[in-house]
Amino acid sequence: MKKTILLFVLVASVFLGCLLWFGNEEGGFGHAELLPIVVVIIVVGLALFIGFRRLSSLHRGEPAEDELSKKILVKSSSVSYYISLYFWLAVMYFGDKISMEGQSLVGTGLLGMAVIFVLSWLYFNFRGLGND
Amino acid sequence: MTNKIREYRAKYNLTQEDLAQKVKVRRETIVFLEKNKYNPSLKLAYDLARLFSVPIEELFVFEEEE
Repeated sequence: MKKTILLFVLVASVFLGCLLWFGNEEGGFGHAELLPIVVVIIVVGLALFIGFRRLSSLHRGEPAEDELSKKILVKSSSVSYYISLYFWLAVMYFGDKISMEGQSLVGTGLLGMAVIFVLSWLYFNFRGLGND
Repeated sequence: MTNKIREYRAKYNLTQEDLAQKVKVRRETIVFLEKNKYNPSLKLAYDLARLFSVPIEELFVFEEEE
């Protein structure tokens, strides 16, 4: 239960942090902020999904986390790390080609890593781990 | 590796939710186990076999890889 509460606190702090960040942007939301907003919504959405799933498991008298959910987390972390290496290579290559600022480059890399993690978690969560 | 969890669950007249609560895992884990999309840990395999009062090798069928 503590972990689930911590998850919701974390989601709320990320959400509030983003609101402050985007709120302080002069001229409101521009095209440049659209991509980070979408990524934040995806990541926050996943965290909320996991949080509510944990709550429903607890409500049914089951553990919030079990061996499969832990293995899925470990597997998706390792796979997303591996894919992220190639993603960073691509970001550096294209960053050089279209002369991106250093800050934007790092931001794009981090957001991309978040999206890759979400996608790999969803993949293993719905596909299962097979005979690994 | 395949398993006979679905058969034994039906034999004992248990729902997936009941079985999940008895072996202390989430219902989704039972769903994946029955679809052969997850190989359980030795502890979970042992807990399931003990619950159905059968040896592990009766519940889980190991197939030789070609």
